[in-house]
Amino acid sequence: MTGPRSDVLQGTLEMMVLKLLTREPSHGWGLSFRLREISRDVFDVNQGSLYPALQRLLRRGLVRSEWRASENNRRARFYEITPAGHRALEAAVVDWRRSSDAVNLVLRLA
Amino acid sequence: MGWFSTLRSAVSSLLGRRRADRELAEEIRHHLELETEWQRRQGLSADEARQRAVRSFGGTALVADEVRDERGGRRIDALLQDLRFAWRSLRRQPGFAVTVVLTLGFGIGATTALFAVVRTALLAPLPYRPVDRIAMVWSAWRGFDRTWLSWDEYEAWSTEIRAIEAIGLFASGAANLTDGDQPERVRSAQITANTLSVLGVSPALGRGFSEAEDRPNGPAAAMVSYELWQRRYGADPALIGKPIQIGGEAVPVVGVLPPGFRLPLDFGGPGPTNVYQPLATDAAAEGAVPGPGFQPGGGGSHSYHAVARLAPGATVASANAELNRYVAELVRTGVMPASRQFRAFSVGIDEQVTGPIKGPLFILLGAVGVVLLIACANVAGLLRVRGARRRRELAGRVAVGAEGGRLTRLLVTESALLAGFGGALGVAVAAGVVAAVRLLAPATLPRVAETRLEPALLGAAVVLASLAALLTSILPALQAARVAPADELKEGSRGATVGAGRLRWRQALVTAEIALAVILVIGAGLLVRSVANLQSIDAGFSSDRVLTMRLSLPSTWYPDGARVAAFWDDARRRVAAVPGAQSVGAARLLPLATEMGDWGVQVEGYVPPANQGAQADWQIVTPGYFEAVRLRLREGRVLDDRDDLAGGLAMVVNRRFVDSYLAGRPPLGAQVRIGSNPNREPYTIVGVVDDVRHNGLTAESKPGFFVTMAQFSRSPGTTVRSMSLVIRTAGDPNRLVAPVRAAIREIDPRLPIAEVRTLDAIVAGSIAAPRFAMQLLGVFGLAALLLSAIGVFGVVSHVVAMREQEFGIRAALGAQPAELIRMSLATGLRQTVTGIALGAAGAWVLTRLLGQLLEGVSPTDPATFATVVLATGMVALLASAGPALRASRAQPSLVLRAD
Repeated sequence: MTGPRSDVLQGTLEMMVLKLLTREPSHGWGLSFRLREISRDVFDVNQGSLYPALQRLLRRGLVRSEWRASENNRRARFYEITPAGHRALEAAVVDWRRSSDAVNLVLRLA
Repeated sequence: MGWFSTLRSAVSSLLGRRRADRELAEEIRHHLELETEWQRRQGLSADEARQRAVRSFGGTALVADEVRDERGGRRIDALLQDLRFAWRSLRRQPGFAVTVVLTLGFGIGATTALFAVVRTALLAPLPYRPVDRIAMVWSAWRGFDRTWLSWDEYEAWSTEIRAIEAIGLFASGAANLTDGDQPERVRSAQITANTLSVLGVSPALGRGFSEAEDRPNGPAAAMVSYELWQRRYGADPALIGKPIQIGGEAVPVVGVLPPGFRLPLDFGGPGPTNVYQPLATDAAAEGAVPGPGFQPGGGGSHSYHAVARLAPGATVASANAELNRYVAELVRTGVMPASRQFRAFSVGIDEQVTGPIKGPLFILLGAVGVVLLIACANVAGLLRVRGARRRRELAGRVAVGAEGGRLTRLLVTESALLAGFGGALGVAVAAGVVAAVRLLAPATLPRVAETRLEPALLGAAVVLASLAALLTSILPALQAARVAPADELKEGSRGATVGAGRLRWRQALVTAEIALAVILVIGAGLLVRSVANLQSIDAGFSSDRVLTMRLSLPSTWYPDGARVAAFWDDARRRVAAVPGAQSVGAARLLPLATEMGDWGVQVEGYVPPANQGAQADWQIVTPGYFEAVRLRLREGRVLDDRDDLAGGLAMVVNRRFVDSYLAGRPPLGAQVRIGSNPNREPYTIVGVVDDVRHNGLTAESKPGFFVTMAQFSRSPGTTVRSMSLVIRTAGDPNRLVAPVRAAIREIDPRLPIAEVRTLDAIVAGSIAAPRFAMQLLGVFGLAALLLSAIGVFGVVSHVVAMREQEFGIRAALGAQPAELIRMSLATGLRQTVTGIALGAAGAWVLTRLLGQLLEGVSPTDPATFATVVLATGMVALLASAGPALRASRAQPSLVLRAD
């Protein structure tokens, strides 16, 4: 495990998962891989913590899941964002921008 | 999103829990495989790659748990867990659980069933409006406590008694419905045009009878019951105005009565009246003097039942006071001879219908109440002891960190589980009891046999009972949960005197239980003896292996006595030819089935006291009847084929007749005229038979005579058209039903055959009320005994368990097993003896309530008391035997190992 690591806040993880899913449906490992890749391994979280987050999203109807063949032709559970997920993501991003802007402002000006 | 998807997820996760777990495992496995592959592509060895993958995943079991948490349904999970825990905890003490469930079950079941009976029999409204202003009016005189009215009495009470607004008359009978291909015999009634309005009832369809239809030779009209309309006429509204065939005559239907309507005497009778026709009395032809006021000369025949509508503000009591004054005046002025002891009185309709049932029902109520008391005492005792025992267990749990709330929830779950099983058993018991009541309830107990378990009733009972059960268990639970661990664990001693105070409370309960059980069982025992006495009464005839069925020959097809007699000759011959038939005859009324009234007679050489006549019960028979029911001949001969239409008039009388009217004279050859006409052709007495208890096993026999149906149609000239065929058989009488029916059908296929039953069944039916009470008290008495045995068992086992260590020490010091047994038996003995003594004392006071139901046995019969006392003692001893044996096996090593 290389590079700095961060404890990802629950809500943030969910937001990122939703965002990743807007590109295309993916299985759990695919999500964790892309998260590491895009964040340059900053978010090399305990990969397992992805699954409770996915279960939460499922329960709230923000994603749905489906078993189908993966790229290497194995049975895998694919997650897909729902319209409600899209709306939740938008709201979360707006929220996130506003608070991170505020945090940045404080850091810059204080 | 929101609560709905949460709920859906929870439910589906609950339903698909196994599948979801399987899928999650697969998902995690897939993840680890992909990660391992990727790590290998980064250049790690297979083992290293695998380890890296697992490590970076962060613990599969933990993740699976977290996912499961997120799935929702956590609470239901916890509930299931609680239930599982409660189940295990109850399983650990199966005796306790089974006892509570059985107790609650029987308690709930018995209460529900009883409530259903009371509701149906006493509380369900009668189909009359307003019920408190409807009464029946009866006449009574010497020898008749409650009998029909005459036309003159009807007119007098309607017009002269101010408390009575109107009187409707009815007379019940039976009719043959002969339309269609299924002839059927149904109960019928003739009613006056105003009867329905007196009862406050309007037809469901069509109209009631008009005044014109209620006059002699008025237009023919019929009404049918709602049930008959539905069953036989397919609920066809077009039936109104159409003729139906009644006894071979076409009678137009004018109306259908409302559902559930019955005439007052249909309750507790052989069933609902199905066909109604106008009474259309020709008062003058009946010997009455039409017009208001009481006419001494006429009176007419007493053949009507009367329902009265009381005037506004009047009561049954005020009507009776007025009737008494009126009759007293008649006697004072000499219009009515005092020697007749004539009385007229009214009975409120509620009392009329439910009167006969109140006694048995109150006994039932008492019995169930007692059983319920015992059941509750048992449960309360058990829960208390269990609560006390668990104080330490619970304190221990609190000490190791169980939350108080969780603990309480656990206890409540346990109680809920018990209540649930108890409730389920209760429903089953209630269903069983109601089924038994429907089966066993005698027809003479009005409406009891109609008892049904309505779902609402059942639901309410279960909810109430469960609520009660829960409440009783929550209290000890709360009490236990509030326990301070340190105190309990410290005090939780190993001494022999643990919970002495609590135990005393419970011993008192057991004493009460035994006392109550003894009362019930003594009551049941008295009834058993009473029923045995009733069954051993010599009724004057023999009822075993006798089949009976009722036939009625309408005048349309059999216009005169000769033809009816010819039919019976033919029927006797053909039925006698059926294999298995030994002797065949017929009678107007079967003994113990239908009450028999009397007919005036003139006995040659007998001068009745002033203002009195000679009366005798009139039994009309065919030859063969005497042999079929085995009447015992004392002198002369029985009636036979000689005594036909053309033969010399021959009469057989009973011994009471001889004692009353022929005392000191040779009865054979004496001349008797039936009726008051002195010129009527007389009968000659040819035989004397023993008295028959016709009107009830305990009813006094009255003077009676027997003549043949053929000769009775000659003198006094009355053709008896309804008779019961009576067949004595060689084997099981029921096996002759089909061939006898076939034989009758060969003679006349139009005739319906009704009331097919054995004479044994009729005899049993006549003592149905005491038998029913006996069965009820028997069942509840046994239940009470069983429950108190459980109570004794509980107390003795409790004591034995408490003293286990003491017994162990004693065993170590050399006490013999027999000694230990004796010591533990002694613990149950005092309660048993006290309970039995109290119970016997209570029974001494209470059994007189059984009053009329007892025959030939005193309410304080010493033999019954002694038997029950001994039996209860034995049962209590047996109940203590198990735990006592356990005590005898006490091991010295137990001293070291307790708790």
